[in-house]
Amino acid sequence: MGTNASQLEKEIGLEFPPNERFFGLANFGNTCYSNSVLQALYFCKPFREKVLEYKAKNKRPKETLLSCLADLFYTIATQKKKVGSIAPKKFIARLRKEKEEFDNYLQQDAHEFLNFLINRINEIIIAERQAQVSKQKSATDTNCDNKSQEPTWVHEIFQGILTSETRCLNCEMVSSKDEDFLDLQVDIDQNTSITHCLRCFSNMEMLCGDNKFKCDNCCSYQEAQKRMRVKKLPVILALHLKRFKYVEQFNRHIKVSHRVVFPLELRLFNTSDDAVNPDRLYDLVAVVIHCGSGPNRGHYISIVKSHGFWLLFDDDMVDKIDASTIEDFYGLTSNFRVNQRGRKTLEAVVKKVLHRDYNEHVAAAVDFRNSTPCGFNGSTAIKEAILHVRNRVDSWPHNMQNHEAILTLVISTSLFEHFQ
Amino acid sequence: MVVNCISVNFIQNSISIRVNLLSNSCDTDSYDHAIKDTLTHLSIKLLNVFPVAQNLSLNAKKMGEERAGKRKTQVSFTIRAEKECRHHSGVASIVYDPALDRVHSAGRDGVIRTWSVAKGQFRFVHAMEHHTDWVNDIVLTCGGKNIMSGSNDCTVKLWNAQKGFCMSTLRTHKDYVRALAYSREKETVASAGFDRAIYLWDVNTLTALTATKNTVTTAALTGSKNSIYSLAMSPDGNTLVSGSTEKVLRVWDTRRYTKTMKLKGHMDNVKALVLNWDGSQCLSGSSDGTIKLWVLGQQQCISTIRCHSQGVWALAAPENFQFVVSGGKDCRLQFTDLRNANYNSTLIAMETHPILSLCLSPDNAMVWVGTTDSTIRAWPLPQLHGDGYISDEVYAGQPLMEIEGVPAIKQYAVLSNKRNILTKDTKGNVQLYDALLAIKVEDLGQIDFEEEVKRRSVPIYVPSWFSVGLHTAMVSIHLAQDENDCLGAWVSAKEVGLISEDEPDQKVNYGRLLLQALFEEWKRLSTGEQQIENTGPCNGFFSIPLHTPVVIGEQGGKTMYRFLVRDAGGEAERSCLAEAIPQWVAEQIMDDGQPPKFVKILFFLTPHTMNGKSLKRERLFANDFISMRKVMEHVLEKVEEENQQSTTGSVSGADIPAEERVRLFCLETPLSPEMDLRTVRHLLWKGPGDLVITYSLLKSERLSL
Repeated sequence: MGTNASQLEKEIGLEFPPNERFFGLANFGNTCYSNSVLQALYFCKPFREKVLEYKAKNKRPKETLLSCLADLFYTIATQKKKVGSIAPKKFIARLRKEKEEFDNYLQQDAHEFLNFLINRINEIIIAERQAQVSKQKSATDTNCDNKSQEPTWVHEIFQGILTSETRCLNCEMVSSKDEDFLDLQVDIDQNTSITHCLRCFSNMEMLCGDNKFKCDNCCSYQEAQKRMRVKKLPVILALHLKRFKYVEQFNRHIKVSHRVVFPLELRLFNTSDDAVNPDRLYDLVAVVIHCGSGPNRGHYISIVKSHGFWLLFDDDMVDKIDASTIEDFYGLTSNFRVNQRGRKTLEAVVKKVLHRDYNEHVAAAVDFRNSTPCGFNGSTAIKEAILHVRNRVDSWPHNMQNHEAILTLVISTSLFEHFQ
Repeated sequence: MVVNCISVNFIQNSISIRVNLLSNSCDTDSYDHAIKDTLTHLSIKLLNVFPVAQNLSLNAKKMGEERAGKRKTQVSFTIRAEKECRHHSGVASIVYDPALDRVHSAGRDGVIRTWSVAKGQFRFVHAMEHHTDWVNDIVLTCGGKNIMSGSNDCTVKLWNAQKGFCMSTLRTHKDYVRALAYSREKETVASAGFDRAIYLWDVNTLTALTATKNTVTTAALTGSKNSIYSLAMSPDGNTLVSGSTEKVLRVWDTRRYTKTMKLKGHMDNVKALVLNWDGSQCLSGSSDGTIKLWVLGQQQCISTIRCHSQGVWALAAPENFQFVVSGGKDCRLQFTDLRNANYNSTLIAMETHPILSLCLSPDNAMVWVGTTDSTIRAWPLPQLHGDGYISDEVYAGQPLMEIEGVPAIKQYAVLSNKRNILTKDTKGNVQLYDALLAIKVEDLGQIDFEEEVKRRSVPIYVPSWFSVGLHTAMVSIHLAQDENDCLGAWVSAKEVGLISEDEPDQKVNYGRLLLQALFEEWKRLSTGEQQIENTGPCNGFFSIPLHTPVVIGEQGGKTMYRFLVRDAGGEAERSCLAEAIPQWVAEQIMDDGQPPKFVKILFFLTPHTMNGKSLKRERLFANDFISMRKVMEHVLEKVEEENQQSTTGSVSGADIPAEERVRLFCLETPLSPEMDLRTVRHLLWKGPGDLVITYSLLKSERLSL
């Protein structure tokens, strides 16, 4: 591990950004869902700043999920070494205490975790704010009530507004309803792009047949057109590609490994006419990726952009990767291009993974080796690469079956500052 | 061209495709010679040119069965006056009968009304009532003898226009019927709607239907991909045009049952269509705000008229297409000269509400206008003088005639007693209704609606047992077994004023009482009480107005059967009802049926302590309407039992009322003895989880002795 860490430092060399730390997070048994999301959040500048600010303000706080997160971020930020790995022991312990569902060693959904984390942090801030207000009230008795109504910094960073517009086809009146969102959950299709998926998300839906719209103006059920558009763009836009799809036939969720291209820069066009900042340009800063064939198995990693270069965080491992390798994470394709670079990347990753102690994955790995590599969906390129590696390495961890993006965090950075 | 005809015979067991011949519809006196008491199931022969039709139809049949099985049936009725001589809501279609100088207007209140308009004076002739939802379109056939109508209740009906009764009901459509078109020369009517299919009906066959000769042949034009909102047929019946949300016009050849072309150009739904005398030209009005003139032979649009700022919903033009009158969402009544390529457009009038329907007088001197409001107006049209059309200045801004409607009910609130309903109409008048007795209690005039709702709200909780619909702009009550279980409300007959103070109290079920009242006549006759003269209300408390229309239908869907409370005992109705009445309703009406179960609430009873925590918790399960007094008595009984065990010869406080010895609390709120359990559960406890009631004993002096 030490060699790996110093290797990363060497690789980055003189460009190594001052005051930046690249630290892996140790896995406590299937906690990769948390590790990958934490890394993505750590490298979301506005979020990290606010968390560190919270740490500075609250010297001796009551232990909450937020205080544990603040401690973790603070520990990383104040490490003497530039690279290495630490164990987020306190945070995981607190997390398991706070939510029953996470109190085990099972594989969890990273998206669920992200939502939980953001909402819980928000609740903590509001609770602390109210406690403060009630304290102040006795002293000053001024009107502090509206303060607790103000959005918290978590909402300022992540929250946007979606508006659903429904047009009754009989009276042709449009009624719209706003709702807040913390992330956009989009359905995906084979060989498409994020842009396409977002377009589908905002497609006109016809409410007809048994699903007619109850129009208040007509006082009856009528056919209507409905669509969802973004009214307020958040500072950090979290997109969730719905790769776990429920299939009635199998009575369970299966993973959809469609290839979905995501750009490094994104401009939303499915904004409503009265949107506040429709031209905001988003810069991709972090991607949380699920590797593996199903929702109950596999592994989460994240790739993160920091100071112009890309890093791959795989639990306690940190690697610098080439920006062009990002396309490996678009999803599985049938015509995966075989090229030297791709193979090399894969090989490199595989080797690194092999360094690690995979005690909890051993059974699965063995199981995998006994079966044919059918999980690759006939992708000859990957199969080839695997066989290539397999010839030389003895064991093969099951979680390297393929790389697929499940959660992308797309964050506005440089350009967002212009809007401020 | 050889056409493969497949005819599919639907037999009686398929509910979705049945023709009923009946006549209990009208409330005029002149329907005696209608074929009363005759109800016949007709089979419809579906003529179709597409080989897939057979499968399609079989699927449709299967679907119909599935839907009937899946969907729950509900019983609805409308609270209204016996005679409703005026439109309550928008007028969606108007036709003029030159032979008798009459106007027929189709209302969104579900009623077609006939007016005599001779000599510039209007007089109400009769109302044709049998539809249970909006009537969207009507056409006058057979030289004014018959009317065909299409409605949101998914049926097409044939009426005797002169006497005003319903001759037959066509249930072929599976969704709202939105548009009709008529060919004079062929006596053919086309109907279309949201189920995307167009059916062609031979009017002469329909009018000749009898109990024995009951087969109708219809041809279906299928292939439209979207809901159809407009139709037009050429007078010779050979060309048919349909407009839909697909934004294109589909032109059909009715002789070959094929689509001849698709005309693209509109940017939105096509809501109005007119064909000229030989079917060579077509005018279309669209929600995109434009009117387009098409030449079908060239398959192209030769002109786009932009005289409206919003959607065009209605068009009227003479057969020679010399001009077109248009109206729509922007309330503007426009007149456009079509004789040369300038297409000069003038504003005739500004209506107060969006225009839904237009009808020209035969001499093109005036136009009848129906809007989303209930009033019909006739406006003068510009007349041809020399080269141009000139408006008569005398009439400027004034309608020639006005058939006034009544304001539509637009808003309602069910009061906390779950029996009274407050409504507000478009003029701001507030009315009070009683859902149980199916009557309007009083008109409260133009008062603040929200204030009145607040003022009449009392802190009691009664389960919701009906839902309210305002689709016909009158108050409709739906009884079903859904989230508002109509058998879920048990009340004390004394408390709700059904019996006087000195009679012994009893618990009654609102839904059961009302169902019994709705089917009173039916029950009376089917239980053989015919001979016994009026024995009073069947349910023992009240009867509801006999003119009340009752509808048995699928929840939020098709109407299965409509009848008036008074007619339910008729022979034809009885046989029909025997089939239509859902099992759960029949159980409530018949004497041998099980009464509905009481609703039980689980709650915990625990002593009131200072720190709020107690180890002693008694788990109780009681009817939702029991009063707190009962709970207090229970507490005392329990305490006395304990006392008896511990001390012999304990003091009895039986002569002191329970409420003076025990106090009950729910979340620290003291409970009055009159309060019932469900009120405590829903208005005080509110949250999820089981209700907890705490008690404390008041130590009166006698007790401490």
